[in-house]
Amino acid sequence: MIRFLSLSLVLLFVSCASYPEKQQFQSINDQADFHNVYFSNVEKDYVYKASIEVYDKVFGGIFIVKKIDDLHHRVVFTTEMGNKILDFSFDKEAFKVNSILEALDKKILINVLKKDFKVLITENLKLKAAFKSDKQTVGQTVIDSDDYFYFGTNPLNKIVKSKCGKAQVVFTFSEISNNIAHNINIQHFNIKFKMGLKSIN
Amino acid sequence: MRNLVFLIFFIVFATQGQTKMTTEEASALKLKAQAFAKDTESIFSDFTQYKHLDFLDNDIKSTGKLAFKAPDLVKWAYETPFSYAIIFRDNKIFINDEGRKSDIDIGRNKMFKQLNNLIVSSVKGDMFDDEKFVIDYYKLENASLVHFKPKDEKLAKFIKAFHITFNEAADVVEVKMIESSQDYTKIVFTNKVLNQPIDDTVFKP
Repeated sequence: MIRFLSLSLVLLFVSCASYPEKQQFQSINDQADFHNVYFSNVEKDYVYKASIEVYDKVFGGIFIVKKIDDLHHRVVFTTEMGNKILDFSFDKEAFKVNSILEALDKKILINVLKKDFKVLITENLKLKAAFKSDKQTVGQTVIDSDDYFYFGTNPLNKIVKSKCGKAQVVFTFSEISNNIAHNINIQHFNIKFKMGLKSIN
Repeated sequence: MRNLVFLIFFIVFATQGQTKMTTEEASALKLKAQAFAKDTESIFSDFTQYKHLDFLDNDIKSTGKLAFKAPDLVKWAYETPFSYAIIFRDNKIFINDEGRKSDIDIGRNKMFKQLNNLIVSSVKGDMFDDEKFVIDYYKLENASLVHFKPKDEKLAKFIKAFHITFNEAADVVEVKMIESSQDYTKIVFTNKVLNQPIDDTVFKP
């Protein structure tokens, strides 16, 4: 019985190896703060054409982010014809749903979107650890008690949310110029949810 | 003091830009717009859409082409800054989003059906239904402005009011849809061509 329990514990430990271990990252001694600049300019209206795939259904729309003030962002999603689908506010630690279509007013969905959007707009991150992977720096941080790995410092090109050593959500940033990522993809691996954003302004 | 006089003049002048119509003027416009809508067999027009969100520095501008064929075929084709077409046809909505095609059956969805009917009526300028809207009429310089406030609570949650601007011929030149939050979508029509034959293939998904 004891042998069985120890084996189970070992198996549990193995299956829950950390993400850096699984990816064979090399630990480095770099604990500088990290900055995500992609939605950080108060003078800029960030407007993207969005495409969302949820369980084989595809929706389009316009994704809008505005930094109102320090630690204060507004995130809005509308249809191409202008009808508002959802409107969220992130003001310091407070999160508010200003409006959402009745059909989408589901706690689980709001929570998924809230977490994703919070990662996009969080600018200053305290690093818990730092690594090297394929010559690029990877910073580990925590947002709302979840582990995130930030790839590349200048520019940031990927964020991975991991659980039990596995990538759960991957954010990729490409076509970067003037601190704007013109192409952003958010891919979930534990649910069938994918979001593509293309800058249009 | 001179500034104050100027300010008073300005306010008086500015408020005169939009004055309420008399009952006679309002019913004359209503008849004229309804007759115009009845005679409209087809519309082909450019449009510019402005999405206004109070917290943004600039409105989000998009442009495209509208095609309408009586009684209820409508196609909005956005061309800039993205390519997107939405076709309302046979109780269905067909979407072509940069080459990705999809459709939605609106037959069973009352809200979609209502919105579809509103889009058709607002494009034609035929929304004068006192049972469904509280209607207010205003005079502008060389144009008329009509406010339609939906009486249906569910619809009003979506759109608090439609403001439709008619030119002197009683044709629709601008549609503004105002949300309960005061944010709005404004669509301005230009280069409108009426009653020219439009092939059904235009509305093919």
